[in-house]
Amino acid sequence: MRPNVGDVLQGLAVAVTSPAAQEAGADYAASRAGMLAMLAGLAVQEADRAGAAALAENAAIRALFAQALAHDASLGGRLGAAARETESDFALSALDGANARLRRLLIELHERVENAGDRDLDGRILELYAAMARGRRLQMPGG
Amino acid sequence: MSLADALGAYLTRVWGEEVRIADMARISGGASRETYRFDAIAGERRRPLILRRDPPGSLIETDRRLEFAAIASFHGRGVAAPEPLILEEQGAELERPFFVMTRIDGGRTGGIFTRDPYGEHAAALGRDFFGTLGRIAAADPAGLPIAKVADAPAPGEAWRRELDYWAGVIDADELHPQPIVRAAIRRLRRSPPPPAARIGVVHGDYRSGNFLHDGKGKVVAVLDWEMAHLGDPLEDLAWTMDPLWSHPDSATISGMLPRAEAIAVWERASGLAAAPEALAWWALFASVKGQAIWISSAKEYIDSGWREPILCFSGWYTARRHDEIIADQLARFAL
Repeated sequence: MRPNVGDVLQGLAVAVTSPAAQEAGADYAASRAGMLAMLAGLAVQEADRAGAAALAENAAIRALFAQALAHDASLGGRLGAAARETESDFALSALDGANARLRRLLIELHERVENAGDRDLDGRILELYAAMARGRRLQMPGG
Repeated sequence: MSLADALGAYLTRVWGEEVRIADMARISGGASRETYRFDAIAGERRRPLILRRDPPGSLIETDRRLEFAAIASFHGRGVAAPEPLILEEQGAELERPFFVMTRIDGGRTGGIFTRDPYGEHAAALGRDFFGTLGRIAAADPAGLPIAKVADAPAPGEAWRRELDYWAGVIDADELHPQPIVRAAIRRLRRSPPPPAARIGVVHGDYRSGNFLHDGKGKVVAVLDWEMAHLGDPLEDLAWTMDPLWSHPDSATISGMLPRAEAIAVWERASGLAAAPEALAWWALFASVKGQAIWISSAKEYIDSGWREPILCFSGWYTARRHDEIIADQLARFAL
């Protein structure tokens, strides 16, 4: 997922080493500092759970693929292969790479499910989407 | 040369008299352009003004000529729009395109992170806020400045033009596969809304944070017209009511009015009906449009070397919030 926590930290580093232009004024500088503090607070959350969230989402997508094997032939057997995969590299970048591949296949699967009028599987995919979105939720600091 | 000096030199040349710039300060907001407040002093006259200058990178590519024309279309016409004064598309002394408009002082903003941002005046402000949006919808674009720079879609094509545009933004800027918003785009194409009852001016970003109020229940300035266009007025109503712009725990739209009352105020002011099915389509579209903007923000943030914190916030926190909002709506668009 981009921006990832590394991108956020890069931005914080750039911000603290790049003073605002003279014309910006004190109010803008204060507002910008508030924004940076908020981003730092969100980055604390993300650093703690980004790996767990990616692992959980990848597992949930694979579990859905395992329930969707009726569509596997039309996807060249890729659903079954993806459903059998397990994580072997737990670096965030590797988990995100696997997530991107799974999400691309999920998009393809959902299009086929829609075109086939498979309401049951469509409903399960929509439930998965809701779970994926909840799993990536960022809580505003203090909110 | 400082920005203030460059602006002073420009105004001196254009107005034909010596102009000095005082109290220049950047304002947070209007993320597609840099926004500055300043006073222009010429002789005994001191004018409170706003400068909107194109940035090196922005949330979304927008046409400054269109924004200028949209503001001009409503200034002095029953909508609290500032007076646009100068459009400089070549950049001249400021090196990047910009425009200048009058400044409306004394207004307050309301944020989306406060449960009760307007206190005892919330309902009165809501009636003025949704009434103002209704008056924008009621305006006949023919003869307005915006009609000279914006194309009017056929009533049956307004939805398609907007959806094609924002789906194209996602195609161009997506950095990580986005199954939720892509499912929403497909659902929208499968179930188009009815043709627009009429083609009107769509502000494009009418919401919490993009207006000023007087603290007593009245809108004193409608801001950020950068995404204005001609289209189905329901697009604006749906965007304004997107859950993103309300505190998650609020029972009212943007901390002002219950949903049914907000719609009723808008219907009375616009003379249009907000049919539930049509509004549901535009509501899902609004969330798709929002997600497209946040996807662009993320790309711009990374491509520009992580420079603008607001782009990071939009492309990260806001994008994830909108994924939840879209997923919630998709449940109502079953096959």
